[in-house]
Amino acid sequence: MSGHSNMPEWIYIAVVVALMTWVGAEAWNAERLVEHVPEGAEVIKVTAQQWFWTFEHEDGTKEIGELHVEVGKAYKFEIESKDVIHSFNIHDYVVLMDAVPGRVNTVWFAPTEVGEHAIQCREYCGLLHYNMRGTLYVEEQSS
Amino acid sequence: MKRMIGLFLVLAVLVIIPAIDLAFAAGDEPGEYLDRRVIIWNLFFRLMAVAFTVGAVVSGTLIWLVWRFRESNPKAKPTPYEGTDW
Repeated sequence: MSGHSNMPEWIYIAVVVALMTWVGAEAWNAERLVEHVPEGAEVIKVTAQQWFWTFEHEDGTKEIGELHVEVGKAYKFEIESKDVIHSFNIHDYVVLMDAVPGRVNTVWFAPTEVGEHAIQCREYCGLLHYNMRGTLYVEEQSS
Repeated sequence: MKRMIGLFLVLAVLVIIPAIDLAFAAGDEPGEYLDRRVIIWNLFFRLMAVAFTVGAVVSGTLIWLVWRFRESNPKAKPTPYEGTDW
């Protein structure tokens, strides 16, 4: 083995370690940004149960199967489940969080445009899982 | 080995510690109104670009390796353990 150099192996290891570190750091930073709830975000309690969604606003208003929010405001969802594991998903806004019985999971978002978007359950939760849907209505700001 | 430890120590002081410091300090301020779609999809596309680049380099290297060191390559030379009976 005379004259053999390990340098290519070390370079390979260094490149792999550097790439993995970079990928991890980027993902970690994106997660940190996305999980960072802005000040003044309105809390909406989301309750999942077979097979519909219930939403409760800060002022006590309740909605079933539909959710009305205002454009340009931040909303923090506090998500829980009454029976089995569900997953709260607003696909168009990349909102996705499991609803687990016995614990409250949070996720936040700020709608940017007026419009209607689908809300759906993203975790198989029984016979009518496919129909556990809702609608998100993003409306103009009232004040 | 000592040199490697020294290198990692220097890297830790220069890069890792300030990065961790900055990240934790940022957590104390209220968040911005960012668009999670942009953050998440940007991350996805960047990581996909890295994944495909790495895939291209690795598979390109393998293809070159197989092509260069095939027996029928005019430049091929027998290694000592293959003998000289070509």
